[in-house]
Amino acid sequence: MRAPRWLDLPPAGAAVLALALFGAILAAAGKHPLQAYYDTATYVLASRQGFTELFVRMGPLVMTALAVAIPARVGLFNVGGEGQLYMGALFATGAALYAPLNGPLLLAATILAGFAGGALWALVPALMRIAGVANEAITTLLLNYVAPLAVAYQIFGPWRSPESSSYPQSHRIAEAARLPSLPTTRVHAGLAIAAACLALCVYVFNRTRWGLEMRAIGANRLAAAHLGLPVRTYLVVAMALGGGAAGLAGMAEVSAIQGRLVSEVSPGYGYMGFLVAWLAAGNVSRIVSMALLFAVISAVGDVLQITQRVPYAVVNILMAAILFSVLCVGPGARRR
Amino acid sequence: MTWTLVAATLAASVAAGTSLLYAALGETLGERAGIINLGVEGVMLVGAACACAVASSTGSPYLGMLAGAVAGVVASAPFAYAVVDRAANQLASGLSLLFLGFGASALIGNPFVGALIPPLPSVSLRMPLGEGAAAVRVDFLVAAALPLAGLVAWLLMGTRWGLRLRAVGENPVAAFAAGCNRRRLQYEALAIAGMLSGLAGAHVALGVAYTWAEFMTGGRGFIAIALVMFARWNAWWAVAGALLFGAAEAAQLQLQAGGVDVSPFLMNMAPYLLTLALLPFTGKAGRLAAPAALGRPYRGVE
Amino acid sequence: MKKLLLVILALLAGSVFAQDKPLTVGVIYIGTANDYGYNRAMKDGVEAMKKALPAVSVLEAENVPETAESERIMSAMISKGAKLIMATSFGHQEFANSLARSNPGVTFVHAGGWMIRDNFGTFFGATQTAWYALGVAAGHMSKAGKAGFVAGVPIGYVVGNINAFQLGARSVNPKFVTRVVVTGGWSDKVKEAAAANALIDQGADVLTMHVDSPATVIQIAENRGIYSIGFQSVEARALAPKGWITGLGFNWAPYMTRTAQEVMAGTFKGKMVREGLKEQMLVLAPFGDAVPQPVRDAVNATAAKIADGFTPFKGPIKDNTGAYALREGEAMTNADMGKFDWYAEGIVGRVR
Repeated sequence: MRAPRWLDLPPAGAAVLALALFGAILAAAGKHPLQAYYDTATYVLASRQGFTELFVRMGPLVMTALAVAIPARVGLFNVGGEGQLYMGALFATGAALYAPLNGPLLLAATILAGFAGGALWALVPALMRIAGVANEAITTLLLNYVAPLAVAYQIFGPWRSPESSSYPQSHRIAEAARLPSLPTTRVHAGLAIAAACLALCVYVFNRTRWGLEMRAIGANRLAAAHLGLPVRTYLVVAMALGGGAAGLAGMAEVSAIQGRLVSEVSPGYGYMGFLVAWLAAGNVSRIVSMALLFAVISAVGDVLQITQRVPYAVVNILMAAILFSVLCVGPGARRR
Repeated sequence: MTWTLVAATLAASVAAGTSLLYAALGETLGERAGIINLGVEGVMLVGAACACAVASSTGSPYLGMLAGAVAGVVASAPFAYAVVDRAANQLASGLSLLFLGFGASALIGNPFVGALIPPLPSVSLRMPLGEGAAAVRVDFLVAAALPLAGLVAWLLMGTRWGLRLRAVGENPVAAFAAGCNRRRLQYEALAIAGMLSGLAGAHVALGVAYTWAEFMTGGRGFIAIALVMFARWNAWWAVAGALLFGAAEAAQLQLQAGGVDVSPFLMNMAPYLLTLALLPFTGKAGRLAAPAALGRPYRGVE
Repeated sequence: MKKLLLVILALLAGSVFAQDKPLTVGVIYIGTANDYGYNRAMKDGVEAMKKALPAVSVLEAENVPETAESERIMSAMISKGAKLIMATSFGHQEFANSLARSNPGVTFVHAGGWMIRDNFGTFFGATQTAWYALGVAAGHMSKAGKAGFVAGVPIGYVVGNINAFQLGARSVNPKFVTRVVVTGGWSDKVKEAAAANALIDQGADVLTMHVDSPATVIQIAENRGIYSIGFQSVEARALAPKGWITGLGFNWAPYMTRTAQEVMAGTFKGKMVREGLKEQMLVLAPFGDAVPQPVRDAVNATAAKIADGFTPFKGPIKDNTGAYALREGEAMTNADMGKFDWYAEGIVGRVR
């Protein structure tokens, strides 16, 4: 049973269809979709705050998408970006608060700890996978619940700061451990880290023997093993690097945005990153445009909330509409 | 720890475990048919929002419950179409469903924030242990939970429909060769799963919290997915798992009320770590007990 | 088609300019404004301010978390023209404060904090002393001498409310016990319900709470046939026709109106505002039918005493480990209310 050909829309068509669907839903709820889209356009294009906010959001989205894309290269599903992000935030905070270092060394330790936290959190599923005892999609998903609880344990317990009337959050981290931001904006160096990681991935995937071997493993693991490739090592390393990328996203949220560990480090970046990577369909450079798309959607949410009095969460319908448009009537839904 | 506390925790784990069980039984059916749905949480939220909306407008909690069930089926429809007919990536489709549920429930529930929701009528069965006022509050959905688990177990293991469903989940090509209608079976499984997730959400709203709040299911849909793995895709084990996962959630508050000092966060981690630790032992000879074709889109006989 | 679009755009632009008013106020809520509780009280204040001052227009955002997300929402409001921002939840403080630093032309007021700058002030009800009156009511009404307290986030101010409640109850019944359950969030309804049930299971026959919406706890108490005492918004009494005792609600309208007027007149100066029963920023809810006249009189007399300056936080006070939290002659003032890190004698629970 195949859907008829005419249902296969071009990508722009899927986006327009989604906007129209979402607009119809808003209109049905008694809101004004055209006004909302117009407000969004002016907010994103004509206000400095709206414009720069896109880049604030793109950093973690690119990193959590890489957390999916790198393991996907060797055929692994990493659904655990959210948990790895939280672990990265936890480790980075630990380093920033307690490492006996100063100046740039402290920042370096914070960044490394963030990477290590995410990588370790991805290592458990990777090892269970190569031992043949559990599927990595299942285990990474399970670990997503544990990481935020570990964060909550620390900020309600040992790391809770007495300042702020004992509000459950950690002490503020030292200035030296903070990633720099562009003056008077929230755009921070995490974006540069994301860009560097992305460029490195493009280079490694397309220009090196490692990239070729990863692709071979992803295409046919058994054949690759017969060729003598160290398949297990690749699986573990790819998973750890992916986890590390998500961990860096968590590090940046703590170090650049929040300035301390809080209970809600991420508004679901890990899950959105999975969708960004999936929409990019294995094409690393398309991650940028898809991350931008998600950043714009969140701007729609902000505008809707303020001008149309629609709960922010409603914007998730727009996200889902775009995704289902691509899933159901987009080009080559089958090929993904 | 006193008997009063034990009795209270046991009683509370029934209340907390009921919604988990409904969602997990639905997810078990779907996964047995080879489809993993990460969007259970979203469907539960839509079920909860619609249950509140209808119960509040009509004054009848039972109509609200029905609305939750219907809404669960409707909300699952785009997901089912994507994975069954368009062979789309199940993980991505499930997450899309999750976000759809977040958004749709917020929109549907918004006018009913703060509205009075008539609770599902219940009878209290006093716990025979301890001296406190602990009682299991049995409403319709609690009472129907065990028979439902039996029904799902029978459907899966005792009927031709279940045999075919499992065949589709294990080896769709062989099932096709044997004349099973994969498409129809998967749609049926996902419709029932959607209905049960919707009911799970309805129980959170009408049986536990008596109100609507955004994101009120608080991750229980995800817990249900973990629970299915814990229960090894078996309906009876799901009952035990629901009580265990429910107890972990209930105990943290009961222990606090009883003045016992344990970290609620460490206690909440326990079920996930336990599931993780048990996964290696759920299969035979190092293989998963999971349906073999779980998560793989069917691409026909090529 | 193009022409139609242009017409629509022109109309939209027109409506944007037509809305230009002397003062735009941006309000962020942590929850949903119609919650029978904290956010409802804030919303009622905003609505009253709007009514009193036709020159004021309002931008509102609900469900704004206490993270850097709130900074994003507030700056979006500023870029939409807001000149006065009301950040209404405790955890919004430092994000509002950092925006106040970078936006000297915008005035910020925050509910519950302590940071002050020229364009940043804080306001709140002096709830801790007033909670003593609720404790007196519970002490009279509870037959078992056991109350249950559902607390959201265990910050110092919340601990202070719990302590005052217990001290008030003990002033009536020296054996009174209050059990505390912390849910960890201001608005987690399912946990609040489970916490309320757990407390009743442990024998409490009066429930009260400090979470954003009292609705869930009150409904559970009513369903299981015990008494309840509300907090945040006095409207919640509608939820418990049988078991309602009384409650404490906020009345923000006078402060909000005053502040908006000051901003429009250019006379605003950031300061810490704490007002209580006396100034009517806090009001005692009407009593429920179950409360007999002598109890009403006792509670009203206590409230009058508090309005006259009585404070329960004067030593000697023992904490629940038996040590002295405040010695003879020591006292805590309004400025200290965020600093509680101990529970008074007879409270079952641990602050950290």
